[in-house]
Amino acid sequence: MIMDNLENLKNVWQNQPVTDLNYTKEDIHSMVKKKSTSIVKWILIISIIEFLLPYVLILFTDLETPSRIYAEYGLDNLTRNYTIVHIIIILGFIYVFYKNYRNISVDSSVKSLLSDILKTRKTVKYYIYYNLLMMGILGLHFFYIIMNSETFISKLPDNANITVLWVSAILLWTLFILLVWCFYRLIYGFFLKKLKRNYAELRKRE
Amino acid sequence: MTKELESKFAEELEKNQGIIHKVCRSYTNNENAHKDLFQEITIQLWKAYPKFRGDSKFSTWMYRVAFNRAISLYRKSKRSVDTTQIYDNLKELEYQDYDDTQDRQLDLLYKAIYSLNDIEKALALMYLEDKSYREISETLGISEVNARVKMNRTKTKLKNILNP
Repeated sequence: MIMDNLENLKNVWQNQPVTDLNYTKEDIHSMVKKKSTSIVKWILIISIIEFLLPYVLILFTDLETPSRIYAEYGLDNLTRNYTIVHIIIILGFIYVFYKNYRNISVDSSVKSLLSDILKTRKTVKYYIYYNLLMMGILGLHFFYIIMNSETFISKLPDNANITVLWVSAILLWTLFILLVWCFYRLIYGFFLKKLKRNYAELRKRE
Repeated sequence: MTKELESKFAEELEKNQGIIHKVCRSYTNNENAHKDLFQEITIQLWKAYPKFRGDSKFSTWMYRVAFNRAISLYRKSKRSVDTTQIYDNLKELEYQDYDDTQDRQLDLLYKAIYSLNDIEKALALMYLEDKSYREISETLGISEVNARVKMNRTKTKLKNILNP
């Protein structure tokens, strides 16, 4: 049989047809860029998950208590308005992330790839700043309304010091925002670092 | 400058991609893994390309990078290969006409190579490509004597797998 002889195998090997997996020059170009594409793809995916997660979680939580509290302090309109603005802005960010992703995957030159990587890094940073700032504004606004509401004031003991209340509320809220910031740094920082490294590598060739 | 370099790279790679496909098919057992490995090797080649000065042939250099990448990626996953499947296929093959079996033989050959270990895969591939011991030693970074010894072992192993 033919397989007995290794020399015959060489024949089989060397006459093997061209694989149908063959790539074109364009495929190869895009493969070289693939690294940044996959990083940016992950940034897109994670931002979408992060955006959707609270809404998915809400489906499983009891909505009665918070909406009762909101109504009690007259926060329901405010919450709705903030939510609408927030959704619009985040969808805008996701659109920009998507555009970055599209651009990077079709970039033909290193130069435009470099500028798109920078743009993506900037978008991610703005995205994080926006989220933190929004939390800060929202917190202050909520505190302000709660502390001035009749319901809250009527529950306060006589000797309560409003300044101490404010300071401790702001301190706690700042701590919470710092925690969220660390969380962002952990998730997005990982991808930003990878992008930076890829950028430096590409830069060397330029 | 970079653009020029990149298109030169893409051009040469397109011409010589058969080499990478052969390496990929030897080190993986499905099409997706094959494609992934191809991309990995391509990125690695592109990274190393500025350092390629043409001291060796482009194809030799490609083999070296491709084997390095394949070996380092697949070293961790020590899989045991089911050789009984190869035997079954071999038996079937005996009843077929020679002409029809060209494809099947090749398939079997790849399966046999896949069952070898990382270094042996590389050796078998270069043996089938009719590479000189000098080129083999250069590609794998071992001495020529060592390459000869290892090659004999690999050939025996391959023969045993294909002729149980």
